[in-house]
Amino acid sequence: MSDALFQPYARSPLDPLDLAGQAVRPSPENGAWANEVRLLAYLTLRGDSADPAYARAVRTVCGLSLPDAGRYVSGVAGVLLWRSPNECLLLTSRRQAASLRVALVEAFAGLLAEVVDQSGGLTTVYLAGAEQVTVLRHMGGYDFGSLEPGQAIATVFGKTAAVVMRADAHGVHLIVRRSFAAYLWALLARSARPYAFTVGRLPAAGTDPVLCLQEGATVLDRQDRVAV
Amino acid sequence: MFLIYCPYCKATREEEEFHNAGEAFIARPADPEAASDEEWGDYLFMRKNPKGWHWEQWQHAAGCGRVFAVKRHTLSYRIAGSWTLAAGKALFLQEGGV
Amino acid sequence: MSGYRVSRPSQRIDRDQTVRFRFNGRDYSGFAGDTLASALIANGVTLLGRSFKYGRPRGIVGAGPEEPNALVQLEDGARTVPDVKATQIELYPGLSARSCSGWPSLALDLKSLLGRCGRFMPPGFYYKTFMAPVRAWPVYEKIIRKAAGFGTAPTANDPDFYDHLHHHVDVLVVGGGACGLWAALLAGRAGLKTLLVDDQNEAGGWLLSEASARIDGLAAIDWVASRRAELDALPNVAVLTRTTAFAHHDLNLVQAVERLQDHLPAEARRADQPRERLHRIRAGHVILAAGAIERPLVFGNNDLPGVLTAAAAQTYLNRYGVVVGRTILLLTHNDAAYDTARDLALAGSRVTVIDVRQRGAAPARHAAVIAAGATVLTGFGIAEVRGGNRVRAARLVRLDPLSLKATGKGPVLNADCVLSSGGLTATVHLYCHNGGRPLWDEERLSFVAPAGGRDDMCCVGAVAGYWGLGEALRQTHETLGAWLAARGLGAAGQAPQADDIPAAPTRRVFRIPDGRRPGAGAKAFVDFQNDVTAADIHIAVLENYRSVEHVKRYTALGFGTDQGKLSNINGFAIAAEALGKPIASVGTTTYRPAYTPVSFGALAGPHARETFDPERHTAMHARHVAAGAAFERVGQWMRPHYFPRPGEDLHAAVARECLAARQGVAVMDATTLGKIDVKGPDAREFLNRVYSNAWSKLEPGKCRYGLMLDENGMVMDDGVTACLADDHFHMTTTTGGAARVLSWLERWHQTEWPDLKVFFTSTTDHWCTTAVVGPKSRDVLMRLCSDIDFAMDAFKFMDWRDGTVAGLPARVFRISFSGEVAYEINVEASYGDYVWQSVLAAGKDFGITPYGTESMHVLRAEKGFIIVGQDSDGSMTPFDLGMAWAVGMKKPFSFLGRRSLTRSDTVRDDRKQLVGLLTDDPAAVLTEGAQLLSSPQVTIPADMRGHVTSSYFSAYLGRSIALAVVKGGAASGGETVYAWSGGQVTAARIVSSVFVDPQGERQHV
Repeated sequence: MSDALFQPYARSPLDPLDLAGQAVRPSPENGAWANEVRLLAYLTLRGDSADPAYARAVRTVCGLSLPDAGRYVSGVAGVLLWRSPNECLLLTSRRQAASLRVALVEAFAGLLAEVVDQSGGLTTVYLAGAEQVTVLRHMGGYDFGSLEPGQAIATVFGKTAAVVMRADAHGVHLIVRRSFAAYLWALLARSARPYAFTVGRLPAAGTDPVLCLQEGATVLDRQDRVAV
Repeated sequence: MFLIYCPYCKATREEEEFHNAGEAFIARPADPEAASDEEWGDYLFMRKNPKGWHWEQWQHAAGCGRVFAVKRHTLSYRIAGSWTLAAGKALFLQEGGV
Repeated sequence: MSGYRVSRPSQRIDRDQTVRFRFNGRDYSGFAGDTLASALIANGVTLLGRSFKYGRPRGIVGAGPEEPNALVQLEDGARTVPDVKATQIELYPGLSARSCSGWPSLALDLKSLLGRCGRFMPPGFYYKTFMAPVRAWPVYEKIIRKAAGFGTAPTANDPDFYDHLHHHVDVLVVGGGACGLWAALLAGRAGLKTLLVDDQNEAGGWLLSEASARIDGLAAIDWVASRRAELDALPNVAVLTRTTAFAHHDLNLVQAVERLQDHLPAEARRADQPRERLHRIRAGHVILAAGAIERPLVFGNNDLPGVLTAAAAQTYLNRYGVVVGRTILLLTHNDAAYDTARDLALAGSRVTVIDVRQRGAAPARHAAVIAAGATVLTGFGIAEVRGGNRVRAARLVRLDPLSLKATGKGPVLNADCVLSSGGLTATVHLYCHNGGRPLWDEERLSFVAPAGGRDDMCCVGAVAGYWGLGEALRQTHETLGAWLAARGLGAAGQAPQADDIPAAPTRRVFRIPDGRRPGAGAKAFVDFQNDVTAADIHIAVLENYRSVEHVKRYTALGFGTDQGKLSNINGFAIAAEALGKPIASVGTTTYRPAYTPVSFGALAGPHARETFDPERHTAMHARHVAAGAAFERVGQWMRPHYFPRPGEDLHAAVARECLAARQGVAVMDATTLGKIDVKGPDAREFLNRVYSNAWSKLEPGKCRYGLMLDENGMVMDDGVTACLADDHFHMTTTTGGAARVLSWLERWHQTEWPDLKVFFTSTTDHWCTTAVVGPKSRDVLMRLCSDIDFAMDAFKFMDWRDGTVAGLPARVFRISFSGEVAYEINVEASYGDYVWQSVLAAGKDFGITPYGTESMHVLRAEKGFIIVGQDSDGSMTPFDLGMAWAVGMKKPFSFLGRRSLTRSDTVRDDRKQLVGLLTDDPAAVLTEGAQLLSSPQVTIPADMRGHVTSSYFSAYLGRSIALAVVKGGAASGGETVYAWSGGQVTAARIVSSVFVDPQGERQHV
C-alpha cells in the first residue's frame, strides 16, 4: 500500500452540513428541532410476506415478525419496516449489520428471498418538538396527525419521497435516500422556520427503537474524517 | 387531486404518491411474431378513451411501488374502487370487459 | 362624492388609533380597522384610477373583493404588489400606495382623449384596428399595454417567504358570516374536526355592515362575538381569518390563502413568519357559506367616481364610520337597499331613493326611510349621471309601470354620490369550480347554489339564495341538523332566531332604459374593469356571438382581477335579452379558480430558491466544489461539468482532461448512474425479455452492455449489467433513466410476467462509483488494491471482480465509456469521499486528472458511443443507431420491442440513421441541433436530411467531430451534407461514427 493512503472513514449524507457542530440542547421555545441519526445500517429484505418459510427465516435471524402494511416492529436486531408486500427495510446498527446480513443470506438459501445492503444509500432524520406534526404538514399532504407509534409509511415530501415513522410521542424519523437527504433537510428547516427551529442534540435513546441503534454505532467518527 | 386507495398499503392516499400507468388489462399478444402489423399496431397504439367508467392502472410510486387497478369515471372523476390486478381483472371480465 | 367620518356605534374602527399613510404622494390619516378604501373615502379622495380602454376617471365602487376600479400599487421596491384592491388592504401605519393606471398621469390621461371617440371603439377594437401590417404588432402591443395601465411587477427578489400547510378535517366551513359561524358551531359541538375560514380580518360577514340586525335578542355583532368565543373554546375547531378559500378541487380539496402579515406595519412584520400561507384542506364535508355580493344597476355614466353599490355605502357607514356623500341618490329595484337609505339619512346625508318600482317598498321599510328624513321617488330610473371627474347630478327617467322602457323625462337632481342596488349575486364560485352548475332563481334574480348542495357539500345562507337573515339561519340550521342526524351525530337543538322584514317584490331590471337605442345614449357600464358597456354586449350578439362564453371572450366581460363579481349577472341578463332567450338557458360562463387573485409566492410556497427542486449530490460533491469544478445539472444531479485550472475556459480544461484520459490517467465521479439489483431464479430470463441483446450465456464475473427498447422498438435506455451470480445481476442505467427503468421493470413484472421469480431493488444511492480511465489506470488501481489480480489475462475488458479498494469492500468493473483501459470502482457511498481521495492520492504520481461530463462526452463521441436522449430521441431503433450487434433477433422470447422492429415503418431504408460527420474545415465545430441539408442552397421548404446530435472539438484528433442522424445515412458514406445554423452553412462529410481506434484495441491492452 502506498504511503498516500490513510485510515478509511465513513461519511453520513448530511455530514457536509456539519449538523453536529451546530447542535444545541433544544429548549421548550424550540417548537421543532431535528438532527441526523448518522450512519445506521440499512438492509432491504425481499421476499413474499405471505411465504411462511421466509417469515420464519426473518424471525429466526432478527427475532422479529414481519410487520403489517404501513407498520414496523422493533427488537434487539433493530427496526423492521414494511415497504411493500415483498419488501421490508431493516434499520440496524453498523455493529450488528454484517453478522445479520450473513445470517440472513444463509437463512434465505433455497428461498425466493434476498437481502440487499442499502447502508450507503439511506439516512435518517429525527424530528421532534411540540410543532413536529405541523412541520410535517407543511412538508407533505399525508395526514401526519394520524400517524401513531408503530406506523411507518412512505409518502411525498415536496419533490421527493421518504419514509416517516413515529417512534413515540416525542418524535418521528424520516428515512430518506442519500442523494435527497440535503433537499429533505432544507425543506424541513424551511418548513420549521416559524417555530424557532434548531438543530438539536439527539437525546439518549430512551424508548426510541431507532435512536438506540445509534449508540456506539459510529465506529468511524468525526475525528477520523477531518484527517484528510 | 384524487384520493386513491392502495390495496397493498390498505390506505387512501393523495394522488401525488401515484403514477397513472395507463389503461388496464391490455394483453400483450402471446406470440408477437405471429401478429400482423395491424394487430401489433392495435396493441401498441389503440386505447379505449371512454366517456364513462374506465379501468386504469396506477402505480404507488412513492409508496409500495405496486401496480394495481382502479375503476374511474372519466366524466365525474368518481373512483369506484381499487383492486389488485388479479382481483380487478376478474371483476373487469365479469363486467364483460374486453 | 365628498365622504366624511361620523361616529357609529357599530363601527369596527378604533378612533383612538390614528394611522398615517400615503397615497399618490400625499399624506393622509385614517384609523386602525380601516381599509385603504374606507380611509380614502373619509379623506374625500374620489379619483383612484383610469379605465382600461377609454381612460375614464374611476373611483371606488364596492367594499370588498368585488371592487373593479380601485386597483393600487401597494408599496415600492421588492415588496411592491400590483393591482391590489384598495377595498381589501387593511390600513397600517406607514402604508404607501399609488394608483396603477393613468398615463402619463392620473389627472391627465392620454386614453381619455381616445375615450371621447369611444363610439369608434367597439368590442374587438384592438383586434380590428391593429390588424395590419402583422409585423408591426409588437410595436402596437407595447403602446397598447402601456396605455392599458395596471400595475408593475416587482423586479427585485421577493424578500419574504411563503409556505403551505395541509389539513385533514371532517368539516370545512367557508365563510364566517352568521350562517358559517352557526354551521361551524353545530359541527364543532358534534365533536367533528372543523375548520372555518373567512377572508375578512374578523368574523361576522354582512353582520359587520348591518347595524340593526338582531339574533336571539342580541345585537347581531354581539351574537357574532359570543359565537366566536364559543368556537375558540372548542378544541376540535379552528378559525382562520384573513384567509380566502379560492379554489375547490376533486374530492373536497380546498385551497385557501392566509395573509399573515400584510396588515402589519413594516417594522412589526416578522422575518421568521411567512407573509402568506397556502392552506390545502382535505375536507370530509364542505359547508359553503360564502354569502352574496350586491351588484349595481346598469345606467348611463354609472362609472363616474362617486357611483357605488348601496351595500358598499352601508358597509362604509356602519363598519368604518364613513359617510360616502352629503347628497345621495339611491337607485334600487328592491326593498333591502332602503336600509342603506335609512342608515345614511340618519347619519345626516340628504338621501333620495329612486325606486324603479311603481309602488315602492313594503310599508314598514318605506315608513322607516321617510321617518329618517329621506325622500322616495317611485317609478323612476336614472338615465345618466352627470359630472366630469366626479358625480354632480343625475338625470332621471320615468319608467313604464309594466314594460321595461322609458316613458318620459324625469328631473335632474343634484348629488355628490349615486348608489345603486341591483340585488344580490350569490357567491357560488366554490360550488362551481369542480363541475357544479348554479341554478337561476327567477324570483331572487341570481344564480344560486342549490340548497341541497352536492355530494360532500352543503350550501347554506345567501349562497343558496336565502337573503334574509332569519330564513338563512333557519335553512343553515335545518341543513346542518339533517346532515348531522344522518350521521348519527345527534340533534342540533334550537335554531337562532332573527326576524325578516316583509318585502315588496323586486322589479326585474338589469339595465335601466334611457329611451335611446343601444349605444346611442351615455355609456352604461356592465363591467367596469374591462370597460364593457351594455351596448358592447348588444354588438357582440349582433355580430353573431351566441354562446355566453364567446360573448365573454369577445367583449372581455368578466375577465380581470375582479372576475366579474359585479358584472357577470348583468352581462348574462343583457346578453339573454339580446339573444331573446331566458337567462337560465343562456347560463353562466365557467367559474374557475382562483376566486380572487393569489400571489405566485403563495402558490410556490416552499418550492422556491434552495428547495425549488432537489439537487442531488454524490458522496464526493464537497470535494468537487473544493476542487473548483463547474457543475451542470443532469436530471436532478449536480455533476462536475469540468475542472478548470486557473485561467482555463471550458475548452482548455476539456482538452487537457481528454488528453489525460487518452495518454495518462483521469478520474470521474460516475456515481449518478442508476443501479438496480436484480435477483431471483428468473433474473436472467427477465433480462432476456427487457434487453434487446442476449443474456443467457453471461457468466458470473462478466459484464455486458445492454440496450433497452420500448414496445415500439425504440431505444429507451442503455447500460452495463454485471453478472454477480447465476441468479444475481447488478444493472446500471443512464443517470436520468434510473427511476423510469425501475418502474418499467416493475410494471412488466407485475402486470405481464408475475410468474417470473425475480426482485428489483434500487441501489443507486448505496453505491458510489469512481471511474479511473486511461492507459495508466491499471497502475493506479494496483496501488489501491492488493487482492485483485490486474494481469491482462486475469482481469479482462468487460470483467468485474470483488475485492478491496483502499481497504474497503468493492466491486471493480473493467468497463469503458472512453475506449481506454478503464475501471469503475463501486464502494458503499458512505466511503465514497474516502475512496475518491484515495484514488487521487494513489494517482498523484501518474498525474491523475479529474474530469467532468463534458470530457466524458467528448471521449465517448470520439468512440461513437451514443448517449440515449442526446443521439437518440425516442424515435430511433437499434438499427437506426447502427447497433444491430446489440439485437438478438434469434432469442426465443420475443423481447420488448422486437416485433416492432419488423413493422413496415421501422424497416424503411430512409429512416434517420446515426453517422459521423467531419467538417471540411477541421476547426469548425458544428452546432448541436443544426439541420442538415443536401445542398448549400437553402430552399423553402428546406430539404431537411437530419440533424447534428453531438458535436465537439477533439483535442486528441486535433479537429472537430460530430455525430448526426441522417435519412438513409447508413448508405450515404462519403456524401457531403450542409449544416445550417444561424444563417451559416457548414459543409461536412458523412463518415463512420467511430473516430478513434475503430478496431477497439486500446481498451483491451
